[in-house]
Amino acid sequence: MFHIVALYTGVLLKGALKDVVLTVVSSILALILGALGAIGRIYGGPIVGGAIYWYVEIIRGLPAILQLFILYFGLSQFGIDLNPLSAAVIWLVAYGTGYAVEIFRAGIVDVAEGQHEAAKALGLSRFTTLRKVIIPQAFVSMMPNLTSFLVLQLKNTTMLYLIGYADIMYQARLGADATEQPGPLYLMVAVEYLVISAAIARIGSRVERRIAAYR
Amino acid sequence: MPVFLKGVGITLELTAAALGIALILGFLLALARLSTIRPMVAIATTYIEVVRSIPVLVLLFLSYYSLGQVGLKLSGPVAATVSLGAFYATLYAEIFRGGILGVDRGQTEAARALGMGRRMTMVRVILPQAFFSILPNATNQLSNLIKDTSLVFTLGVADLMFQAQAASATTFQPMDMLLLAGMIYFAFYLILSKVLARWEINVQRSRS
Repeated sequence: MFHIVALYTGVLLKGALKDVVLTVVSSILALILGALGAIGRIYGGPIVGGAIYWYVEIIRGLPAILQLFILYFGLSQFGIDLNPLSAAVIWLVAYGTGYAVEIFRAGIVDVAEGQHEAAKALGLSRFTTLRKVIIPQAFVSMMPNLTSFLVLQLKNTTMLYLIGYADIMYQARLGADATEQPGPLYLMVAVEYLVISAAIARIGSRVERRIAAYR
Repeated sequence: MPVFLKGVGITLELTAAALGIALILGFLLALARLSTIRPMVAIATTYIEVVRSIPVLVLLFLSYYSLGQVGLKLSGPVAATVSLGAFYATLYAEIFRGGILGVDRGQTEAARALGMGRRMTMVRVILPQAFFSILPNATNQLSNLIKDTSLVFTLGVADLMFQAQAASATTFQPMDMLLLAGMIYFAFYLILSKVLARWEINVQRSRS
């Protein structure tokens, strides 16, 4: 068992690194789109707001894996063949955006109504209000959700092996088939995810504390 | 279409079985975390923190392949039920804990002052009040559970996702098949999120 651990640690770590990079890049993109989406959802009127509402509902209502398969296998029916990496990025960003919109929306709505009124009374424009008053405050209440958002994105990367993206899960499966020793390999995958999630949670709570102190 | 319906049946069976495990185990975990016995709190907390951080897909593989290697061979559906149940138990444990902690302390004190035992206080006073406050979160997780059952096709369990995959391979029309399955999943989501949510609001309004 131990020689398997020794043999595969390097490969699995390399796969894990790919997952982490993918998580970080897709999360940043998804958060930017999510913030824009939340603003559109709240201030965009019935058409833009409604469209974003249904986008969020569809993302949250369909199994993640089904969405990935629609992108990767479904689109091929119309001759659009994405390679695993681009399908993975599009999927993670599209999926993450759906969740990010809700996080930002909840954060913005959470800021007391009085703040909007006070800013208006002081003659601040809507954009300035949003940028200087609402978003800084919304950020504080959003922090715990942002941490779980990152963990969710990270966990979703496990499904990427199903479209042939060579991440940690893919390597573990190859190894399990080659050595007929699935036990230690999947255990190692579990441990690596545990460590990475714990690291995200640790960073999250540290940032939370710092923001709370700043407040 | 009939195979899809069969798949839906298996998806629902799996959901129900996993939900059963998750509710029972989750409730026990919540009680253990709230107890005053140190080792029990530690065990429950560790279980919740560890299992919650592992992706469902990895849990499925652990219970199906890894346990199989050490002689505990589970069939696909059993492994799927156990791992989904074990994972969702951690989520339900936190929901239950929040619900129980959310009941005003005065309620416990009043019940104790009336001479009720600890168990009776829990069953007769705390839980009925906690029940309605946890309903929204509980149904929310249920709709997540239904979605996560879509992962069990990786163990060869013939659920809705599995049938959609199989149909894609035979018809060469993956988009149509996946969208059909998607519509079924989405219908469940809408039922749980819209209809139940409305019912819950009505219940809560009539109670207050």
